[in-house]
Amino acid sequence: MGWLPWSSDSSSNAASDGGRIAPDRSSRQRCYEGRDLFFSCLDRNDILDAVKNDKEAQRKCGKELAQFETACSRAWVKYFKEKRVMEYNRDKTIERIKKEDAAKVEDLKSQGWTAR
Amino acid sequence: MASSIRPASRLFTRASRASLVSLESPASRTLARTAMNTQTAVRTSISHNQLKNGTTLAHRAFSTSRAHLKKSPTMGQLKARNSTGPFSWKSALLFVLTGGGMIIYFRVEKERLERKRIAEMSKGVGKPRVGGPFTLTDLDGKEFTAEDLKGKYSFVYFGFTHCPDICPDELDKMAEIIDKVNEATGGEKIFLPVFITCDPVRDTPEVLREYLKEFHPGIIGLTGTYDQVRNVCKQYRVYFSTPRDIKPGEDYLVDHSIYFYLMDPDNDFVECIGRQDTPESATRTIMEHINDWKREGKPLRKD
Repeated sequence: MGWLPWSSDSSSNAASDGGRIAPDRSSRQRCYEGRDLFFSCLDRNDILDAVKNDKEAQRKCGKELAQFETACSRAWVKYFKEKRVMEYNRDKTIERIKKEDAAKVEDLKSQGWTAR
Repeated sequence: MASSIRPASRLFTRASRASLVSLESPASRTLARTAMNTQTAVRTSISHNQLKNGTTLAHRAFSTSRAHLKKSPTMGQLKARNSTGPFSWKSALLFVLTGGGMIIYFRVEKERLERKRIAEMSKGVGKPRVGGPFTLTDLDGKEFTAEDLKGKYSFVYFGFTHCPDICPDELDKMAEIIDKVNEATGGEKIFLPVFITCDPVRDTPEVLREYLKEFHPGIIGLTGTYDQVRNVCKQYRVYFSTPRDIKPGEDYLVDHSIYFYLMDPDNDFVECIGRQDTPESATRTIMEHINDWKREGKPLRKD
């Protein structure tokens, strides 16, 4: 995790201009695992938005959050937290539209309409 | 009016009579049938004329049909024809094969023309201008321009190395596509996979090289100055949101479009490959375009 700005062994992944080499496959994998652990803890505690409900998330999933934050860069942590909310809303919307469609089809069928 | 019709009807009568004499060959039979049909048509107009001009024409027409009755095929001939019908198994087979062949040919041709339409949509008037001239730097620090893409099919992806999850997924897909296309073209070097960074401040050639080698050694990594990258993103209609004044090492994300752009050897945009495509479907699309290009005998650079 040397590419993290606050970690001590950042020398190995530093680029010559002072920037950082991007996370490689294994550190990406570590980050995804940290994220999945944190998110399953959020699921258990019925927390959706870890940005808005930061305090609650800290209290209930403090350990997982700390791991997640060590494994991923700050921008990624924020990105994944936001993405979780976005995906939840997206899935809800898709579900709602599907239900509405099904209801509409039922309604039309009861009026004697048949699908092609 | 009657005088103009008379010679015509006489001609038809003569023709039909002549052909009715020999009914052996099927060709003459058809001819006779045609003649009879024409005769019927003429007769209709004659009977119309007859009302005005008397009965001579009607008589002549009648005499012809009598000749036709006399020379009609014998019962034996008719029976022989009825037992087999007009089709033999040979002609049936020929019919099925030709029909099947035509259907397949038209389907293939329709698909090819559809692809051609897509490919040519970006040529000529009213073309969507995706892609265009650019100057960037490759991983060896050498200048790389749009001209270097010409003569080959190029497969352009925009991304950045600090991308959390989508770019790595898509680059893994790109690696699979590269291998599949290379396999399908038999190792011809006519396919250039290109990764252009939208994050030039962090993605120096050094950073880019370290990043890309994990995916596929064949990917051409390109970076440049902030303005060069902004220009190429504009050319390819890629949303570019990288802030200008950031120091290397700063932590931020970049929004960008997540399409692969397939460009033909003229460096005209052909098609988008998106998230919904699998390596297989993408390879199929790419190979169809490459094969169309080859079939039309257009030039390709194989160095």
